[in-house]
Amino acid sequence: MQLEYFQLIDRILDLNMDEKKITVEAQVPQHSTIFEGHFPGHPIMPGVLLIESMAQTSGWLLIALMKFERMPFLAAVKEAKMRGFVTPGELLTVEAGIVHEGSGYAITEAKIRVDGKLRCNATITFSLIPPPNPEFRQYMDAVAKRIDFPLQAFPS
Amino acid sequence: MPGHDARTLRRPGIYLQYIKGLVMSSTFDQVATIIAETCDIPRDTITPESHAIDDLGIDSLDFLDIAFAIDKAFGIKLPLEKWTQEVNDGKATTEQYFVLKNLCARIDELVAAKTASA
Repeated sequence: MQLEYFQLIDRILDLNMDEKKITVEAQVPQHSTIFEGHFPGHPIMPGVLLIESMAQTSGWLLIALMKFERMPFLAAVKEAKMRGFVTPGELLTVEAGIVHEGSGYAITEAKIRVDGKLRCNATITFSLIPPPNPEFRQYMDAVAKRIDFPLQAFPS
Repeated sequence: MPGHDARTLRRPGIYLQYIKGLVMSSTFDQVATIIAETCDIPRDTITPESHAIDDLGIDSLDFLDIAFAIDKAFGIKLPLEKWTQEVNDGKATTEQYFVLKNLCARIDELVAAKTASA
């Protein structure tokens, strides 16, 4: 994770297109300016960033399912639960699955676990929109490489 | 509903009309209930003539919730992308899809198409 760059997932561990599920891992950094303020003497991952990491995980599942033809944009977050603190240095496993694939939107359910124990979960709605410009695919490809997304299966 | 008297029985067309009315009102009732619950709009202000956007003030995000509830309730997939494209291209008006009686007619068509292909 590079919190300041909003890089909130590190590596795709499993992308199952048949079951429409994805699992990624994300290492919370030991040090970040964010922890200086959140909170002094009691550093914990902000809940909004945990939601964002679940959204990014869900997003890559949707990108794969739609073969880069649509981009998922965060539209709604429901039933988001922060069940326990996430602290610097912890290794997160983030899973997401599809609840519903609509026309122009999709809903996912995502979970964050640490050592197998559930720390957060949310139901997330995305608007699915054609990529905003042709260069966007290049940017997405760069992110895809960084997180071990199986790009070879999705030629541009 | 007319009574079950001999006069009605002699005119089965009335029954057909009534059954058709039941099916239509049932779709409308379900959709109106979904809208009322999803958007916190008083149920009695929602009529078949209501335009979801112009009259009920439902925005695109709330409409996603409604679409999800409709997709689930009727086992269909409202083709929102296609409709939006048609409206943007000037090939259709929002009234065709977002006045509730028209939306319900579209839902009935999608349900019928699904039943036919099953």
